[in-house]
Amino acid sequence: MELLNNIFAWFGCAWNSITTFFVKFYADFHHVMIEGGRYKFIFQGLENTFVITLGALAIGVVIGILVAAIRTSFDKNKETLQLRGGIGYQILRVLNSLCKFYLTVARGTPVVVQLMIAYFIIFASADNGVPVAIFAFGVNSGAYVAEIFRAGIMSVDKGQFEAGRSLGFNYFQTMWYIVIPQMFKVVLPTLCNEFIALLKETSVAGYVGVTDLTKAGNTIAGRTFSYFIPLICVAIIYLVMVVILSWLVGLLERRLRKSDH
Amino acid sequence: MTTDNNTIIKVEQLEKSFGKINVLKGINTEIKKGEVIVVVGPSGSGKSTFLRCLNRLEEPTGGNIYFEGVNITDKNVNINLHRQKMGMVFQQFNLFPHMTVLKNLMMAPTTLLKTSKTVARDRALQLLERVGLGEKANSYPSQLSGGQKQRVAIVRALAMDPDVMLFDEPTSALDPEMVGEVLEVIRELANEGMTMVVVTHEMGFAREVANRVLFIDEGIIMEDAPPEEFFANPKCERLKEFLAKVL
Repeated sequence: MELLNNIFAWFGCAWNSITTFFVKFYADFHHVMIEGGRYKFIFQGLENTFVITLGALAIGVVIGILVAAIRTSFDKNKETLQLRGGIGYQILRVLNSLCKFYLTVARGTPVVVQLMIAYFIIFASADNGVPVAIFAFGVNSGAYVAEIFRAGIMSVDKGQFEAGRSLGFNYFQTMWYIVIPQMFKVVLPTLCNEFIALLKETSVAGYVGVTDLTKAGNTIAGRTFSYFIPLICVAIIYLVMVVILSWLVGLLERRLRKSDH
Repeated sequence: MTTDNNTIIKVEQLEKSFGKINVLKGINTEIKKGEVIVVVGPSGSGKSTFLRCLNRLEEPTGGNIYFEGVNITDKNVNINLHRQKMGMVFQQFNLFPHMTVLKNLMMAPTTLLKTSKTVARDRALQLLERVGLGEKANSYPSQLSGGQKQRVAIVRALAMDPDVMLFDEPTSALDPEMVGEVLEVIRELANEGMTMVVVTHEMGFAREVANRVLFIDEGIIMEDAPPEEFFANPKCERLKEFLAKVL
C-alpha cells in the first residue's frame, strides 16, 4: 500500500514539475520573444537568410555553369585543339587555369573569412551587408556548384557526345541538346543538397553586421540575457527548413528515378 | 589531287598517334561511290581508329583525308558540315536515352538541316517502318532490345541522308541471336548502293557483302583485295595467320 502511495506521490511530483516547466517556459518565452516585439527580429532575420541564400544560389549556379563549361571543354578538347594549333587552345588554357585558381581559393579558405574580406576590404564603402553577403556566399557556392556540374557532365557517357558530334552537331549544340539534359538528372539532387548546405552556411552573415536568422537570435539573447529560448527557437527554425527541403529533394529524386528511361 | 568523280573518300598517308604510341602509320586508300569496304584486323590493330579518323572523331596527327573533293583535315574546314554527310553507327549504339525513338531520329534533321517537323516526322516513321520498328516510334531506347537499338541507330544516321555510312563494329555488343537482324539492315543498305565502311569481326558478312576487304595490322593496310581473293588467296603472312585463327 505504501509503495503504491509512493508511486502516486512520485507521479504527482513529476506532473507538477512538468507543468511548472511549461508554465515557466511559456512565461520565459513570452518575456523573451513577445515582449517589446522582439520576435520581429526573428522575422527580419528569416527574411535576410532567405534573400541571401536564394541570391547566392543564383550567383552560384551562374558561376558554376560557366566554370564547369570551361573546365570540361578544356578537358574534352585540349588534345584536338593542341593538334589543330591556333589561339583557341591558348585562350582555353588560360581560362582553365583561372578557373582552377578560383576553385582552389574559394574552397580552400573559410567562407567567414571570404565574407569579411568582401565586406571590409573589397566593398569597404558598402553600408548594407546583404548584397555583400549575397556576393560572397554566391562566389563561394559557385565553386562547389561548378564541381557538381563538372562531375555531372563527366558522368554522361562519352558515346553520347560522340554520337552528337558524328551527326554534325557542333560542340555547344551537342552539350546543349544531348549532354546537359542528361547531366541535369544526375546533378539535381546533389545541387539541392548544396542549397541546403548554403542555407546553413549563411548563419555567419552576422559577422558583417547582417541580421540573419542566427544574428537575430543572438541579438534577442543579448538584450534579455536569456540564451536558451532564442537560440533553441533559431535552431528549430533552421531544422524545420532543412527537413522540409530534404523531404522535397527526396520527392524529386523519386520522381527522377521514375522517369528513368 | 588526282581523284576522278567516282571517288568519295581518299586517304593519304593518314597517321594517328596517342602520345608516343603510333596507332596508324600511314594509311592510303580510296573509296568509290557505292563501294562497300569491310575493314578487319586483330584488336588493337588500329581499324577502329582508322574509321574514327574518317570523320575526325579522332583527330589525325598526319596525312590528308579528302571527302567529296574537300580536304577535311584542313584547319579551315568546318568539319560539322561534312559530318552531316557521313553517318556513323557505334558499337554501343549511343542512342539518346532522354528522347523517344522518334525524337532520336528527328533531332538532327530538324536542328541542323532545318527540316520542318512534319517532313522530318514522316521521314523518320518511314525509316523506322523500313527496319521493322514502326510501332516503336514512341518508345524510349531503354525499352528496346540491343538489336532494335542498333537498327534505330542506323536509321538515325540515315535520317540525315548521308553520302557515306561508317560502321564501327555494329554487331560486337549484340547478343548472338540479334546479330542477324542488324546485318540484314546493313546488307539491304549495301544493295541499295550506299557507300559504306564497315569495321567488323563478321567474316561471313565481309565475304558476302564487301566489294573490298581491308586487313589492317600494326597501323597499316596489309592487304586490300576483293573478298574472294582476300579469303581464298591471302598474300601476306599476317593475314594468313589471322584468317587461320578466325575462320
